[in-house]
Amino acid sequence: MRGGLIARLAWRDIRSGEMGLLLVALVVAVGTVTSISLFVDRLQNALVEESATFLAADRQISSSEATPDAFRAAAATRGLQHVQTLVFPSMVFAGERNQLVSVKAVETGYPLRGELIVGDVPFARGYPTDSVPAPGSVWLDSRLFPAMGVALGDPIEVGLAELTVTRVLVAEPDRGGSFFDLGPRLLMNLADVPATEVVQPGSRLSYRLLLAGAADELAALKEALPLNRNFRWVSVRESSPRIGSALDRAESFLLLGGLLGVLLAGVAVGLSAHRYAQRHFDHVGVLKTLGATPQQILQGFLGILLMIGAIAIALGLAAGSILHIAIVEVLASVIPVSLPAPGARPFALGAMTGLICAIAFAMPAFVHLRNVSPMRVIRRDLGIAPLSRWVSYGAAFAGFMVLLVWYTKSAFLTFWTLFGIIAVSAVFGGLAFMLLRGGRMMGMQAKSAWRLALSGLQRRRNENTAQILIFGLAIMLLLVLVLIRTALLSEWRSQVPDNAANHFVMNVTADQVDGVQATIDAGASRGDFLYPTIRGRVLTVNGIEAKAWQQALQREIQGTRLTSERNLTWSIAPPDNNKLVAGEWWAPASSAAEVSIEKEYAEDFDLTLGDVLEFDIGGQRTTATVTSIRELEWESLSPNFFIIFSPGALQQFPATYMTSFYLPKENKQFLNRLLSAYPTITVIEIDAVIEQVQRIVDQVTQAVELVLALVLFSGCLVLIASIQASRDGRIAEHALVRTLGGTRQLVGGSLAAEFLVLGLFAGIVAVFGAEVTVALLQTQVFELGAEPHPWIWLLGPVVGAVIITAVGYGSSRSLIDSPPMLVLRGLN
Amino acid sequence: MSRAVVSAEKVAKVVATATGELVILDGIDIEINEGESVAIVGASGSGKTTLLGILAGLDTASGGTVILMDAVLSDMDEEARALVRGQHIGFVFQSFQLLASLTARENVMLPVELRGDTLAVEQAEQLLEKVGLGDRMDHYPRQMSGGEQQRVAIARAFASRPTVLFADEPTGNLDTRTGEMISDLLFELNREFGTTLVLVTHDKRLAQSCQRTITIAAGRVEPPQTEAAEVLSTETALS
Repeated sequence: MRGGLIARLAWRDIRSGEMGLLLVALVVAVGTVTSISLFVDRLQNALVEESATFLAADRQISSSEATPDAFRAAAATRGLQHVQTLVFPSMVFAGERNQLVSVKAVETGYPLRGELIVGDVPFARGYPTDSVPAPGSVWLDSRLFPAMGVALGDPIEVGLAELTVTRVLVAEPDRGGSFFDLGPRLLMNLADVPATEVVQPGSRLSYRLLLAGAADELAALKEALPLNRNFRWVSVRESSPRIGSALDRAESFLLLGGLLGVLLAGVAVGLSAHRYAQRHFDHVGVLKTLGATPQQILQGFLGILLMIGAIAIALGLAAGSILHIAIVEVLASVIPVSLPAPGARPFALGAMTGLICAIAFAMPAFVHLRNVSPMRVIRRDLGIAPLSRWVSYGAAFAGFMVLLVWYTKSAFLTFWTLFGIIAVSAVFGGLAFMLLRGGRMMGMQAKSAWRLALSGLQRRRNENTAQILIFGLAIMLLLVLVLIRTALLSEWRSQVPDNAANHFVMNVTADQVDGVQATIDAGASRGDFLYPTIRGRVLTVNGIEAKAWQQALQREIQGTRLTSERNLTWSIAPPDNNKLVAGEWWAPASSAAEVSIEKEYAEDFDLTLGDVLEFDIGGQRTTATVTSIRELEWESLSPNFFIIFSPGALQQFPATYMTSFYLPKENKQFLNRLLSAYPTITVIEIDAVIEQVQRIVDQVTQAVELVLALVLFSGCLVLIASIQASRDGRIAEHALVRTLGGTRQLVGGSLAAEFLVLGLFAGIVAVFGAEVTVALLQTQVFELGAEPHPWIWLLGPVVGAVIITAVGYGSSRSLIDSPPMLVLRGLN
Repeated sequence: MSRAVVSAEKVAKVVATATGELVILDGIDIEINEGESVAIVGASGSGKTTLLGILAGLDTASGGTVILMDAVLSDMDEEARALVRGQHIGFVFQSFQLLASLTARENVMLPVELRGDTLAVEQAEQLLEKVGLGDRMDHYPRQMSGGEQQRVAIARAFASRPTVLFADEPTGNLDTRTGEMISDLLFELNREFGTTLVLVTHDKRLAQSCQRTITIAAGRVEPPQTEAAEVLSTETALS
């Protein structure tokens, strides 16, 4: 067929609405993928930028040794920004008072990402600065001012150097990290460190080379440097596992959502293409009698498909861009960083999706048109050989695979999604078939509208089974997304509840407990005393000196030593977020000296159940046997201990206590009162960390909700496409019933009843499928626990029945109201 | 002597059914000469429509030879048969078979356009004038009566200047008066263009307008009846 004729036929098909649904389905597929990947692309960049502030850099090289100059030179030649920081604990003095602080020494240029917030009054809101302490000066955490009794301009001794306090340090970007790193901070210039003379062999030092610049240059640098266990390459995922895992899950969810959107749109494309083809059988028959060859028919209809595809891709890309701009506008208030411009990938992805959808889902139906016999024009009863199922399903399956793997870049996610869908289709195809058989038996006693509906359902059992599966699959995918979203959100919220303790108090002595408690009760929300803490270190393992034991392991242990002093505690029961992986927890009344150790700690030092550890606690010696090994949730914002004793082993030692409380931001002055009254206690503020986590969770939540809305839209399209596809047969029967004397009420009622039953069955199928798929996804992909959702067992069937009745009845209503003759003639 | 444009030799059509093989056509021999008009008649289910389909290359025979304008249709695949149809054959159907999405003018242009010829618009408009629809060229099929739609279909059938025109019950869906008008138009154009006409019909008047009648019964060609025998059989049927 010639171009002009093809264009004319395509245009007429679009205008008459024949192509409408196919076009909309293709536009939705392209638009969904484009907008989601545009948004995800930009959001990911923004989140990476935001998270980079957790490192104060794009990457770090972390080490307990000074960073070799060669590393810095290599970074410089690649055009990367780099600054050095050094963190170490040190006792500082101001007059009579002293305090253990965490010193951070930095160079000009720090931080490379995020900003330093400073102030001129302790516990007040600060302002950002782009400078660092000048040589000879230090900036102190607010809580150090009352604790050490100093003011701005006062001298303070760090090792042998005397430095001047010039500013209040309100916040630094890379303060996060593990719980016990959060000591009160003293920020000084790296140039002053030699004068302090605190850096000696054996000091606990943490060197970090901060790096920032182009991603490919960073990756190349990582390859080029001789990194080993001593020099660790750190990106945000390793340094902040909490943020890292939230990002991973959010990414998986967004991808899953986009993927389900594409799947649903693909099904809609396939269904509407088949309906289009079916309605063109006669059309093709006529063209063939007029001399069109199968080759011409093929070229002609592929030409039409290509044109529709091109129009859909253009519209879809435009719609996707507009949608994503709208989303960015809405979220502008939540996303603080300016979003980087999107790349070309989302557009390429959208266009390719349109093409693949057209080829894999629509083309088989179009190709099949070439096989229509021209005899059909004189023998209407002449059937069309059904499209080879293998060709049709094979093409769709291949299309799915290409799209899924390419889109998610994850064979794992693809596998589980497909597994869920295929398993559900197989099992619930049979179930739907059986449900329909049951329907007939009920129908025998039903009133006539019901009988008509149920006998119709029974007569078209094969088509209806397929339809229940498609409805069920659409509802199932939507349920899956809603359930996973709910699980993710509650998981994230539970990590950082709104009123979670955001301040920890440590080093409270036994005689201060009541006073500190009373002060906290009066000024902040009440916190409970959590754990006694006792400082101590390991002396021997099974009678062997700890140092010799570690040396015998012949491996480098990053940062920690077996002999390091640690926070010990005792407890009757295992803490909430600890999971025993070996051994047994002691009986509450046990007076034996037992100890439970953390899994990685045990692995690092080759400790196993039954090992006997000897501890030095304040000069006194005590031994305990390892009777259990625990796994910890390092992501939780609660204190975690490597070593926990049975009460009997540690109760006799003097302990300090720790507690936590919640303090709203505007009440920060309370810390000044608390620390002035009890200068020796240590307060750890984690409110800034919590806030940062919450902000990221909020952004990700917004994205998740958006994807859900888009997929809901795709799901509705599938429902409409599927109802449309089966409409003709259903309507013809009902028109016939009307010509034979059936009232409009009877026909309308029967149509509604038919859709109601289909929707109900589809809902039941969907609920089964959703439970199975969600359980698999939650355990295999999102690493969350799986549990049943009783509420969807009622909701699924009800929603299925209501939606499908509404859409089905709504789209057939006009035909019920028109005279039956018109309906029959229109169907001829 | 005029030459044969359509010939069938020992044409058979057998289809498989659930209860075994069903013979629809059983050794049909026919020859139709250039410029002739032939009516194929027979009872419902006699196989006449199947025969029309096979002679026109719309369907394939299970055995025998079909030749149309020197082309051996029975040896050709669908691709080649389509080319023969486009070049030599025109069709008129009982149910009109116009494309609903195209206007009257576009429907008439279709066969010429499919052949890749230009000047289709002018030809189409002339033909529509001839069938008396000069003022309905931009109307869609659904805006026309059955008789008007059949007139468009006739204009379309002649648009490609066919050698043979096949018609399947062309008046079957129309009332008597409109049917007469349509058959007059068909024969008028047939004479004007010198086309060979092969039609399948139940309509006695239409069959009588043709130069020759071929009767099919139980898949075979019945021998031609004399006028007396015909009267006799009519009387038998009435009694």
